[in-house]
Amino acid sequence: MSVGQARARRSDLPSRLARVEETGVREFLAFVLASETYALPLSCVREIMRVPTVTAVPRAPVEVLGIISVRGQVTTLMDLRQKLQVEPAPIGSRTRILLVDQGDEILGLLCDRVLQVHRLSETEVEMASVLGSDASSYVMGIGRPGQRKLEAAREAKRRPAAGDEEILILLDPIALLKRQAYG
Amino acid sequence: MQRVLIIDDSSATRAYIRAALESMSEMQVSEAASGFDALRVLPRERFDLLIVDINMPNINGLELISFIRRSETHRETPLLIISTEASERDRSRAMTLGANGYLAKPFTVEALAAAISGVSKASGEGA
Amino acid sequence: MAQGKDGDRAREEFLAESQELIETLSRDLLLLDSALKLGHRNPETVNDLFRGVHTLKGLSGMFGFDALGRMSHVLEDLLENLRLGRIEMSQQVLDVLFEGVESFQRLLSEPGDAAACDLESFTERVHSLARAKSATHNVLSDYELDPNMLGVLTEYEEHRLRTNLEQGLTVFRLRVRLALDVIDTALDQLKERVKNFAEIITYLPSMDGGGGDSIEIEMLLATKKPESELRAALNRPEASLSAVLRRRLADPQPSAATKQSPVAQAAAPTAATPSLPVRSDQSLVKRATPDVEVSLRSLTSVVRVDIRKLDHLMNVVGELGTVRAALARLVERLRAGAPHALGSEAHRIHRAFQRHLAEVQDGVLDIRMVPLSQLFDKVAVILRQVAREQRKEVRLVITGAETEVDKLIAEELADPMMHIVRNAVDHGIEPTDLRGQVGKSVAATLTVNAYQKGNHVVIELSDDGRGIDPHVIREAAVRKGLLTEQAAGDLSREELLNVIFMPGFSTARAVTDISGRGVGMDVVKTNITRLGGAVDIESEISVGTKVTITLPITLAIISALLFEVRGRLFAIPLAVVQEALRLPGTALRNVDGREVVTLRGTTLPLCRLAQLFRLQDTRQAAHENFVIVITVGNRRLGLCVERLCGQQDIVIKGLGRSLTQVQGISGATDLGDQQLVLVLDAASIIEEVLLARANPLVLGAAS
Repeated sequence: MSVGQARARRSDLPSRLARVEETGVREFLAFVLASETYALPLSCVREIMRVPTVTAVPRAPVEVLGIISVRGQVTTLMDLRQKLQVEPAPIGSRTRILLVDQGDEILGLLCDRVLQVHRLSETEVEMASVLGSDASSYVMGIGRPGQRKLEAAREAKRRPAAGDEEILILLDPIALLKRQAYG
Repeated sequence: MQRVLIIDDSSATRAYIRAALESMSEMQVSEAASGFDALRVLPRERFDLLIVDINMPNINGLELISFIRRSETHRETPLLIISTEASERDRSRAMTLGANGYLAKPFTVEALAAAISGVSKASGEGA
Repeated sequence: MAQGKDGDRAREEFLAESQELIETLSRDLLLLDSALKLGHRNPETVNDLFRGVHTLKGLSGMFGFDALGRMSHVLEDLLENLRLGRIEMSQQVLDVLFEGVESFQRLLSEPGDAAACDLESFTERVHSLARAKSATHNVLSDYELDPNMLGVLTEYEEHRLRTNLEQGLTVFRLRVRLALDVIDTALDQLKERVKNFAEIITYLPSMDGGGGDSIEIEMLLATKKPESELRAALNRPEASLSAVLRRRLADPQPSAATKQSPVAQAAAPTAATPSLPVRSDQSLVKRATPDVEVSLRSLTSVVRVDIRKLDHLMNVVGELGTVRAALARLVERLRAGAPHALGSEAHRIHRAFQRHLAEVQDGVLDIRMVPLSQLFDKVAVILRQVAREQRKEVRLVITGAETEVDKLIAEELADPMMHIVRNAVDHGIEPTDLRGQVGKSVAATLTVNAYQKGNHVVIELSDDGRGIDPHVIREAAVRKGLLTEQAAGDLSREELLNVIFMPGFSTARAVTDISGRGVGMDVVKTNITRLGGAVDIESEISVGTKVTITLPITLAIISALLFEVRGRLFAIPLAVVQEALRLPGTALRNVDGREVVTLRGTTLPLCRLAQLFRLQDTRQAAHENFVIVITVGNRRLGLCVERLCGQQDIVIKGLGRSLTQVQGISGATDLGDQQLVLVLDAASIIEEVLLARANPLVLGAAS
């Protein structure tokens, strides 16, 4: 992505975040992928399901793992690892599929483990400001769910609890699931 | 409880008027999709208000009004006609034939409510 | 605007009714167009147009479609003037009307699009249409007409009455008693009987004469025919028929009276009203019914159905099919293990279930079917427009319009057909002087023919224009860099004609008014291929061109052949399967580096699906023992597969937008227990494989 594009993208973020929530608090669903903790806005996650039989589609784009049947509906399963440029891994017992609403289609995303829903206020979200590899174009920002507790601990001069330092990599569903144009 | 009969050949218009009427209180709404339908329903049931579209095929609104005003059951029933500005002459004919009021399309819900209370008073029955 | 669920329902009714109205308006305009060409007038159609636009105007206003409302208002005024005789019908007027109706469609689909129509310039054009001279003498005063009847005529009905009398037709009063329950059909029947030679001006109901279940109706009819013929056609001996006579000149009524008296008399409607003569003969009522019973049966009631509801029903039926298949397997196991009687009963029940399910399936599929006439009407409108733009005369001949296809297919076909027609007129049909020079008729002919062929529908569009010159195509293709000189030189005549469908070939991207999108012949082909169909083109220089579109009749539930390649299960619609046979390794031959097999004397090209789909597994080719011969249009291909796994009825589901680019797959089907099987797109595979052989340098992102 060019510098100009990235800059435009960055300035877009505040309006995108603001557009959705007026109260300033957003809910995110956290999950694990290759030992990193990511999160997606809860509003775009339709369902969490176990992994059914996946049917590979010949000559499909590389980030498509295949198709699955969700109550009779044929749904495309995307490889998040491929998009985020993480090493591939086998499907485990905790592997789950997140059904995400892309706008005009619902897509499935594989993840290693689903964690929990976090409610993050504005202070607990920090927008991405660093240009880097392509992976960062999907990153909307950083979430610090334990921020308030950290600050309270600091003020009280207590040691913070381990979980309070957790960081969530917030993914932008629009960028993540945008369809590539194929030549 | 007011029993209203809407006589109009456009299903969307009937749906619109129905929605508007049901947002007012105490309305029991029936529909007739043509002059023929109306001819069948009118002798059998008693209505408190009739809303008639002038521009219908086959039996036009004027003929229907004339018929209604000659019938036993609805000689005096408040009758509101729906028309457009185009048929000025038809509208005045309708009033002469016995309609109590008219409402031009397109109309708002408020205009409909006002017209209904207008014709109820005009015909001498309570609103 | 009303809120909530009622409001939503009302809005949906509005959209559906408006769409229907616009389609009816188009059809009526076409009727007027043909009538005008033959020199006829068609007042009933003009009136229908007026009423349609009038309704549309009212609806738009109520539901907030302001631009549409304003546009309809302009057209409504024009039509009112037309129907009341203030403006004469002409080609110019028709053009304006056509334009108006087209803008309705745009305004309904995209209400927010301000650029969709230029109201001001349109209004100016309407105002510039010439006015007719108005009559000075009111002919109505010359006739003995019941003032009560005159009093309830609308302005339009009065105008029709006047016009008919002015033109010297006789006006008759027909009085007949009808049972209220069947009055619609009875009157329709009467109308049907006289419509070819009489105009019905108005109907008047009268309750005088008692009889709560029946009513006396009086009709005013205008005709040139004598009374005896009219009476015979009506075939209602009990009805009374009398002609409206001229007043004797000796005792003229003052013309003012005809205006005053109806009003004055109508104000006192009860006892003073001279009632219409009454026929109280009871036997009339009885005689009325037997006739009417026949016509009741022929009356069709139509229900508007949301296609999404039908899609849902189709899904459910599809799921039921899967359940049935599972049930069948269960029944088989039961019969093997259980006592004979139990197994037999289970089998019988399953058979009954299968029968009824097939009926439901057929029923739902049938509901989705629409005749192609809807589509062909649109073609007629476009043809007229394009022909006028180009100043060419084109005659349209349509056959097979009653042929039915799935509604979704019909909708997807609209844009491609528009483009093919536009192409035919733009490039195919010569200007009139040129046609004369080569001895052709001045008016060109565009023939549209549709028919069913097995599980497919074939639509042929042929013109008698100048045809396509393969040399011109070859030069153009080379010039645009689509082919090298050498490759172009190798192509056969047929292959050259198909170069038209290559992306990048059509430079003139015509923007159709209907869709507003650019369409090229390559997009036409892609659209049709996506539906599982094929396009073929034949042409002969100076004779004409024929485009043939082949489509499956329905997209939904189909019979499919299941097979295995590299251990994976696939399905292919039976409709494209000509045959499936065992392939002895010895029958294979190699021709120009491609594998073929000789089948009953002809050469059949082969395709190894495992290679095409790049399926892993290094098992040897010798395991591919079967060949499934598929055919689309007039092309054939043999697919090499490992195992045949039986036939099944399946519901094809689309793959979703992310995967539309995947070639060769038209969807997937759920075989039960969540197992998805990919369904092959025969047309696309044939395209890909055979085209690769023809134009090896042309493939874009292949292999």
